[in-house]
Amino acid sequence: MDVTKLARMANQIAENLDSGSNEARTVAGVADHMQRFWTPLMCKQLIERWREEPDCLSPIAAKAIAAVAERQPAASAG
Amino acid sequence: MSLTYKTYQREPDLGTPAAESTREVTVTVDGVEVTVPEGTSVMRAAATVGINIPKVCATDSLDAFGSCRLCLVEIEGAKGLPASCTTVVRDGMEVTTQNKRLADIRRNVMELYISDHPLDCLTCPTNGDCELQDMAGAVGLRDVRYGYAGSNHLDMQKDTSNPYFTFDPSKCIVCSRCVRACEEIQGTFALTIAGRGFESKVAASQDQPFLDSECVSCGACVQACPTATLTENSLIEMGGAEHYAVTTCGYCGVGCSFRAEMKGGEVVRMIPNKDGKANHGHSCVKGRFAFGYATHKDRITSPMIRESIHDPWQEVSWEDAFRFTADKFKQIQARYGRDSIGGITSSRCTNEETYLVQKLVRAAMGNNNVDTCARVCHSPTGYGLKATLGESAGTQAFDSVLEADVIIIIGANPTDAHPVFASQMKRRLREGARLIIVDPRAIDLVRSPHVKADYHLQLKPGTNVALINAMAHAVLAEKLEAKAFIEQRCEKDAYEDWRKFILEERNSPEALEAQTGVPAEQVRAAARLYASAPNGAIYYGLGVSEHSQGSTMVMGIANLAMATGNLGREGVGVNPLRGQNNVQGSCDMGSFPHELPGYRHISDASVRDLFEKEWGVRLVAEPGLRIPNMFDAAVAGEFKGLYVQGEDVAQSDPDTHHVTAALSALECMVVQDLFLNETAKFAHVFLPGSSFLEKNGTFTNAERRISPVRKVVEPMAGYEDWEVTQELAKAMGFPMNYSHPSEIMDEIARLTPTFKGVSYAKLDQLGSIQWPCNDAAVEGTPTMHITEFVRGKGLFRLTPYVATDERTTRKYPLLLTTGRILSQYNVGAQTRRTENLRWHDEDVVEIHPHDAEQRGINEGDWVGLKSRAGETVLRARITARLQPGVVYTTFHHPESGANVVTTDNSDWATNCPEYKVTAVQAAKVTQLSKWQQEFEEFTDEQLKLLREAQARGEEVVS
Repeated sequence: MDVTKLARMANQIAENLDSGSNEARTVAGVADHMQRFWTPLMCKQLIERWREEPDCLSPIAAKAIAAVAERQPAASAG
Repeated sequence: MSLTYKTYQREPDLGTPAAESTREVTVTVDGVEVTVPEGTSVMRAAATVGINIPKVCATDSLDAFGSCRLCLVEIEGAKGLPASCTTVVRDGMEVTTQNKRLADIRRNVMELYISDHPLDCLTCPTNGDCELQDMAGAVGLRDVRYGYAGSNHLDMQKDTSNPYFTFDPSKCIVCSRCVRACEEIQGTFALTIAGRGFESKVAASQDQPFLDSECVSCGACVQACPTATLTENSLIEMGGAEHYAVTTCGYCGVGCSFRAEMKGGEVVRMIPNKDGKANHGHSCVKGRFAFGYATHKDRITSPMIRESIHDPWQEVSWEDAFRFTADKFKQIQARYGRDSIGGITSSRCTNEETYLVQKLVRAAMGNNNVDTCARVCHSPTGYGLKATLGESAGTQAFDSVLEADVIIIIGANPTDAHPVFASQMKRRLREGARLIIVDPRAIDLVRSPHVKADYHLQLKPGTNVALINAMAHAVLAEKLEAKAFIEQRCEKDAYEDWRKFILEERNSPEALEAQTGVPAEQVRAAARLYASAPNGAIYYGLGVSEHSQGSTMVMGIANLAMATGNLGREGVGVNPLRGQNNVQGSCDMGSFPHELPGYRHISDASVRDLFEKEWGVRLVAEPGLRIPNMFDAAVAGEFKGLYVQGEDVAQSDPDTHHVTAALSALECMVVQDLFLNETAKFAHVFLPGSSFLEKNGTFTNAERRISPVRKVVEPMAGYEDWEVTQELAKAMGFPMNYSHPSEIMDEIARLTPTFKGVSYAKLDQLGSIQWPCNDAAVEGTPTMHITEFVRGKGLFRLTPYVATDERTTRKYPLLLTTGRILSQYNVGAQTRRTENLRWHDEDVVEIHPHDAEQRGINEGDWVGLKSRAGETVLRARITARLQPGVVYTTFHHPESGANVVTTDNSDWATNCPEYKVTAVQAAKVTQLSKWQQEFEEFTDEQLKLLREAQARGEEVVS
């Protein structure tokens, strides 16, 4: 899938869930959202892209995809 | 379960509307004691005990008028002979409805009517079904002493301008029922009685032909007419019906109940059902008249297959089509993996059909790659309302609007897209309810006869969330919040967080004025009006959901309703107006890739276990692909097979270039539809569909009302749509063995707590049911969240305003927004194949006079609309409905290519496309766009391939 688009989607989720008050909660919310609504392959592809190109994600989206990677050992292993 | 038709007869008519009072009054009518609610007319009281007082100008769908003087009665102790329709019962009243004096007067009245009425009953279209004829019989008319030679109206010419009904003024008795129906029922005020005395006549607008007038062709006047003055053309051509069945309209989310009146296997006419709880006997031009597509010559009735989309189609047996499809899907999965195929359900199909498609995907394909077209319209509603209130559905019944004191309409155009509900809303507005409209465009309700919005907050496209936050800020800053409601009904910490967030200066009306373009004082005044109302109700449409912040806006609306205590009773609520007939139902049925029927997440093992036991398979625990993801995956070569039931993604989905690239990349696409729609032109298998008249099932409307759809004619291609899915599942090795859709509903009820009490037997008994329907609500739930929210406490969600990426630039200085019009429906596949084309035969681009002048564009000029996604050409309509800088179009005709221009921007939470905001440039041009030229060539090729297949099929048959 077009991983640039996946990165854009992740950044958009992060931006919309970020009210500026509690970063940990926002990061968890973004990670939950991706896991609840994205296919495992979409998550895996974004994890791979983020590892190759960390700057493709905003700081919150990057922390969220890191959390997703931690929750999914298989995906984390690539 | 077989359908028993009912013998045709006119619906009972008690003469005047029912009274609402709970206090009862007892009177005596012709010696019979009758007890009725206070406020009931004498005429209606008599009718309830079977005493039918003659009448012509009275009907129970309209307020009493008292003009015909046929219904005069004697009342003990009263002077004169009062009209029974306008006289209200009093305790102890003694009424005489029949004696010689009354009979003489009635006969005389009828003599006067008939002296100026054609005596052509035997050749009249309503012969045998005419109230005037009935009354002549009832009063014993035997002679007309005045003769027929005097002045009369018998030579008046018919108006046949309307394609669906004929106006024959020579038969008119000037009872005003049509005029009153247009006012009271429809609320359009297009008809009037012109002239005085003998010159009085019914006139449309300024005495214009009906088609050229303000008439919206809803047909209320035709239904109200007691003679053959206003008559359906289908009735004129075919004669009267001999049987009927009650069914549900296949058009918009109002879900009107209809009597399909039949002669043999043909529909004579569709008459809105008086007992229909969504429509109360009213309809619109689509539901009442635009059913001709069901028998249109373009219907495809043979299954077809082909290897490549440039190959000729080959007509085959159903069995061969199923085998071909199953083999292809299996080969694709063997080669590319389990997740390389999927399906799309349709909001135009029944609950039972969508349930089966998602079951086929999850159980037979073995993945969760199922989605529905609600993805591209109301998926943010599902997300936003679930997150805040706990259930992915509107909170009220339509009738609730009759208790509303302040109505807010956001991003919806009810008079065009939900016309029957709009009529009900207009009735409430005429009674004095206040109105706030939030829309970039001046919809008709901003100002129309007897309706004027108190505030039209004409915001810039894309700034909904800024506006709703500003309204909430004003409510809190001015201490207008419902403290007790919030304390008792909502989560405290979340409210406090939200309150702090909303009261930040960045969310004040003044701070956001530059973004929204709406003066702060207007925002404050509108917020004040809504928050101070005894009952404030919010209605919204796709102008809320189809944005990059669609889900945020839905949550913002729910926040505002909770903060003002406007939930949990009649007259209030958060009410999404669903676009298509079964948007709510298709979502309820588990069409989304992340959830099973009843909005339960696929990751919930206990829920999966229920379905696994019922279906006998293991289910995948992770979400599947959404529609836009499917397209992206197809372009990337990861997704190769798709089963589309009743959808036309090639026309309806945004960024056409991307969609058609995705469809072209598929190795097997299966389309099940009535017609070779735009998507089917990219298909390898075509499975003929059945119209709503050809199948059994249920639709669920915008108020969660499940209504029966009944087969009144046999499916043209031999199978109802649910049977096609069942056979396809069998061919793929997953057995389904339903003998009737009622068994599918029984399975849904077994597996879905909110549907536990739903069955076809109960639907037959109650007519319709609003879910939740279970042990706690045996007959359904008109109003939700009465004592507590479905999720327990209401949850305020933070709604930061994030401007869309789709912004104007020097290259694209205008914002395009899209919408619908009354006479056409969605992609137009149905309504374009009816006479509704007379009202809208092409999509146009609306442009403000200022923007048009700057570009040298005149009315009717070809205008090229160009965005970063593509370019199309439409004719210009210059109108001040829009603010400068905004242009607008509809998407009912495929060649218009509105979605060539829309982009792949989408809602952050659901990927619902941002149809409502596209940065464009508009310029005067002289030829069609490159896309349109290619579209014409491709369409010609595909129609040629279809015609060749059909010609070969006919040769084989002959």
